[in-house]
Amino acid sequence: METSDKKPTETPAAESRFTVSPITLLADLWMGRLIRFGGLGVVLAVFGMLAFLVLQVFPLFVGARVEALPALTVPASAVAFGEDEYGELPYVVLADGTIHFQRGSDGAKVQEWSPALVGRTVTAVRSYPRAGLVFLGLSDGAVLEAKVSYRATFDAGGKRALQPIVTPLEPVQVGSPGLPCLGVWNAKGAQSRLLVVRQESAGRPKLSAVRITERKGLGGKARVTASAPFAVAPELSDLEQVLLPSTADSLLVVTGTGEVRAYSDDGVGMPLLQVFRPFADAADARISAAGLVFGHVSVVLVGQTGVHQVWSIYPQAQPDGRSLRRWGKIHDPEKLPGPAVGIFAAEGNKCYLVGAGGELQLRNMTTDTLRWQGPAPAGRVAQVAFAGNYDRFTALTVDGKLHRWKLEDHHPDSSWGAFFGKIWYEGATEPAYTWQSSSGSDEFEAKYSLVPLFYGTVKGTFYALLFALPIALTAAVYVSQFLRPEYRQIVKPVMEVMASLPSVVLGFLAGLWLAPLVDPHLVSLFCALGVLTPAALGAGFLWSALPQPWRRQVRPGMEFVWLLPFIALCCWLAWQAGPSIEAAFFTVKDTASGAPLADFREWWRQTTGMSYDSRNCLVVGFVMGFAVIPIIFTIAEDALSNVPQSLISGSLALGASRWQTVWSVVIPTAISGIVSAVMIGFGRAIGETMIVVMATGNTAVMEFNPFSGMRTLSANIAVELPEAAAGHTHFRALFLGACCLFLLTFVINTLAEVLRQRLRERYKVV
Amino acid sequence: MSSPSSDSSTPRGEAWVWFTGLGLIVGLGMVIGLLALVVLNGISVFWAPPVPVVQVDDGRTIIGQLAQRRIRPGSLASDPRYELQFQVGLRELNGNSYLWVDEAKLKGEVFPADILGLERVENGPAFLRPLTLKRADGQEVPVTSPAFSESFQQEVAAAGATREKLVELTRHRIGDVNSEMEAARIALRRAEDRGQADEVAEQRKLIATLEARFADLRTEAQGVAQRGEVAKLLGRDAAGREVTVPLSQIVRGWFPNQLDTWGRVRLFFSRLHEFIFDEPREANTEGGLMPAIFGTLVMTVFMSLLVTPFGVITAIYLREYAQQGPILRIVRISVNNLAGVPSIVFGVFGLGFFVYVLGGSIDQLFFSDQLKYNNNTPVFGTGGLLWCSLTLALMTLPVVIVATEEALAAVPRGMREASLAAGASKWQTIREILLPASAPGILTGVILAMARGAGEVAPLMLVGVVKLAPTLPVDAVAPFLHLDRKFMHLGFHVYDLGFQSPDSDAARPMVFATTLLLIILVVCLNLGAIWVRNRLRARFKGASF
Repeated sequence: METSDKKPTETPAAESRFTVSPITLLADLWMGRLIRFGGLGVVLAVFGMLAFLVLQVFPLFVGARVEALPALTVPASAVAFGEDEYGELPYVVLADGTIHFQRGSDGAKVQEWSPALVGRTVTAVRSYPRAGLVFLGLSDGAVLEAKVSYRATFDAGGKRALQPIVTPLEPVQVGSPGLPCLGVWNAKGAQSRLLVVRQESAGRPKLSAVRITERKGLGGKARVTASAPFAVAPELSDLEQVLLPSTADSLLVVTGTGEVRAYSDDGVGMPLLQVFRPFADAADARISAAGLVFGHVSVVLVGQTGVHQVWSIYPQAQPDGRSLRRWGKIHDPEKLPGPAVGIFAAEGNKCYLVGAGGELQLRNMTTDTLRWQGPAPAGRVAQVAFAGNYDRFTALTVDGKLHRWKLEDHHPDSSWGAFFGKIWYEGATEPAYTWQSSSGSDEFEAKYSLVPLFYGTVKGTFYALLFALPIALTAAVYVSQFLRPEYRQIVKPVMEVMASLPSVVLGFLAGLWLAPLVDPHLVSLFCALGVLTPAALGAGFLWSALPQPWRRQVRPGMEFVWLLPFIALCCWLAWQAGPSIEAAFFTVKDTASGAPLADFREWWRQTTGMSYDSRNCLVVGFVMGFAVIPIIFTIAEDALSNVPQSLISGSLALGASRWQTVWSVVIPTAISGIVSAVMIGFGRAIGETMIVVMATGNTAVMEFNPFSGMRTLSANIAVELPEAAAGHTHFRALFLGACCLFLLTFVINTLAEVLRQRLRERYKVV
Repeated sequence: MSSPSSDSSTPRGEAWVWFTGLGLIVGLGMVIGLLALVVLNGISVFWAPPVPVVQVDDGRTIIGQLAQRRIRPGSLASDPRYELQFQVGLRELNGNSYLWVDEAKLKGEVFPADILGLERVENGPAFLRPLTLKRADGQEVPVTSPAFSESFQQEVAAAGATREKLVELTRHRIGDVNSEMEAARIALRRAEDRGQADEVAEQRKLIATLEARFADLRTEAQGVAQRGEVAKLLGRDAAGREVTVPLSQIVRGWFPNQLDTWGRVRLFFSRLHEFIFDEPREANTEGGLMPAIFGTLVMTVFMSLLVTPFGVITAIYLREYAQQGPILRIVRISVNNLAGVPSIVFGVFGLGFFVYVLGGSIDQLFFSDQLKYNNNTPVFGTGGLLWCSLTLALMTLPVVIVATEEALAAVPRGMREASLAAGASKWQTIREILLPASAPGILTGVILAMARGAGEVAPLMLVGVVKLAPTLPVDAVAPFLHLDRKFMHLGFHVYDLGFQSPDSDAARPMVFATTLLLIILVVCLNLGAIWVRNRLRARFKGASF
């Protein structure tokens, strides 16, 4: 070709019939470019696919990004703060109860509101920024509640302006009259609200509470009833911190001696439920800071040395055998640099900020991970709150500064530990691998462990191969070595047709036809399957024992024709024997009536204590065989029939029988091809989706019980991805599953391919 | 391979040879058994068996077609008790179309000739004993009259024609008005937003005319529907209750106990015709599959149009242009291995990249108006035909590449060298010698890719297949091929009917029929590929292939 290219330029005088038409040259050039471009493009696209999947997963493993915004200077007497959704118009509550609104952009004062107090003073302040509620504890033990709301107004130019509105309510007498409130807390539960105040009398702390119930009347007008004030924890002699969970049915008190005392609502009062000392073993048992995490069923506790624990309430076995919900330790996060100055929970996820040793740490409780770490503001922190949609947080320090940070943390719940580790979730009795991506409640801890899905995948694959391998490999040996060639021409296309059966069809037949059919006949089925091997071997021995003229009737390569009726007969007999075997070996007492019951399913449940589902692994394994058998068969048959004829002839010439030749010459030579076939079959079984979706219950359980279902990585994606919100942690977790599947099958197939190439080399040598 | 010695002792290990034969028997048994199961169940859906009147021990009388016989749930294998499922129809009266009857409680069954089976537009089928036919012209024909059967069939045909007219009116003409109105509303919102007063007025006027046309069409449709209500069939159900079925509701009627074999065959083909060429009814559990068949075909063809050029170009590049070496070997292995990557992974990629990234960008670039004025309804930023085809094209790419590479490698070296020696350029050699010689191999690859694509469901669930699409992806409205539309697919139909259907008994026959159709499609494509390959082998027998 090169010569024809150059010819015209070298010898311009050449006859025109020797010159190549420029159109031909141009076509050659451009088609060459097009093919190079297209080919390279497709190859790159294929690799780009993996890159894209990894790129989608990558944000899951990125920590939080925090950026400090300029701090606002507020009046030095500010003790609490709150803000609107976008931080445009934050407010601080001063020690005298004045609510002071400042513009978030430049700190200019916008408005001020002061409570109307007749002869009383404000002695305690608490602000709940998210709800926009400010509680003022008064000098006479009463509590004044004020609601802060904002109204957006637009001027003629369409410019938006925020107008704050403060709505005070009537003061409620919560504490003992005459004693000033030293602290005030509010919690709004599902049914009622709990207001708690702390006072002090004779040097002893005194906690009182009022329960406020709001009932919607028929007319839609709410009727508010407040209970009489009642004392909580009257036995307390000292008190460091009060934690009031938003469930409004319990109360935690941290004492100066390092005790946490839990009180729980019993309908009448709030008796003591439990006392625990988290750092009893430490040299200094005192607790430096405690804080409830979003959902308010877990509490983070930090000791004086920075030791760090998370306790949660979950069912625990009591000495008397009952199981009661009690507090217990669920996490032991790494030690902090020093005692904590406070623990401040995020809203909407299980993250919390903890300040210790001059540092701020943003940690996730579920996964025990540090999401971000940065310098803490200089002054002592009075209050910290997360705002907006977990995209900002603000801290008020006592030196009159409102520090603000911008937070970018799209996947607070994710980490390596979340996907692959064993995690003690809230409310669980022990650490576990759990996949549970959604729930009815917002306060739910998302559980993204991929381990049960891997487990399900391996389990399904195992049962599929358990069934498919013997059939595929023996069939491959028979077809390649013994079967008459004219039948081979038929068998191979039939197997290819089997490979092409759509998996949705197999799944449908497995789930809706096979599972209910097999269910009552399990023992019969096992008998029939169990009798296959002995029957085939028996037929072989029987035939071997026959005198030669009889044996001649069976031409070599035609054994299967004679075997077929024999096997069918044996299977039929075994099937018929099934019920008697079930009656003989699998009879149990019926739990309801006590009568003996010959039922394998019930026997399995009672004997092993494991579950029995009608759509179980065995059904899946059997049907997945349809997908896996032809693949293994085709590749193994290829490998076996490519064994050089010279080897086989040599072996036969030396007097080996045909089986001896196959067993000691053909199979060892082709073994890498066979292994590669098995691996490719394995890869196919791992990724099989529709069969698993349709033929199992899709529960993410982790037990190797052959009579239960499972949830595989692929089925999980098929079931959940259509409902997952794009870009959300759940969505990306499913992409992570897909990535794992991709890598897993890619690696397995590559290994298989390398093995096959080695086999080819070996044939070359032979 | 017969025994080497002539003595009568058996060669060693013969039993193991028999044992390996077992694998073949089980494997073949599985394929043949499965195919037989699907074919039998799929075909029997269209066959009309005689319908008995069954007396049950508890005093009930049932008229119904036998649907299934199974072991009672909870019954033991040692003491199996069976129950029969009858399709009794008349769902509006019986609450359920299907009834289970304990086999032991059956007292007897008879096959009276006057039982009439009806397929209806709503509420499923009906089996009843007809009394009188009230014709559209007001005449009444009692069942005893010899003209009953004939005039019943005439009336059913007339009602069918009316129904078609109604469909034409509601679906096409009213549908057209609706889509015009939708476009006008978007234009109106845009004009309002941009403050184009005259445009606003014009669009308002257009909408008003369209609304008037819509009202006219609806009145017309109501008129047609009312006229169709005149003809009625009166009958009695098994319990003796009077049943009135308007003929406009009847799709097909037959006397299951009077039909001769020829009649049953005709009924069979009539139902088969409906199955293939009509649209689904009753939440997909009855009627036809035309949209799903059409969707599958369009998607598969479009996919193969995408995959063939890319696959072939890549294969030519890999074999003829790329520098052979270790890197190319790695590339080749990777491309091959892509065939083993689970299909769901391609679906995930399709959703993440094609739908959200590509589709989202297309919407931002070209359909920003649509997004803005149509409640943020995405056009390409959601699943659709284009994304399904692209996803499956990517999935089947390795199949085509491998097949083409093999076919190219099988072209005898001599042919290639002869062409080059005769002065042909590289491209000319490829075009004139290599591609024609390897065309059957490429075709095999494409057919295999189509077979794989046609049967695949898992990725499609993520990128744009739906259970019921109101419109076909190809129609007479410009631009004729609607790449952004969601469509129906046979495989997804099986999944959806089998597992998401509220009435699984009613869906069961349809699932089997759909399954049969899907299997026929896929198996035919595969057999075609095998046939092409065998011809290819014969042609290149001399070559090293």
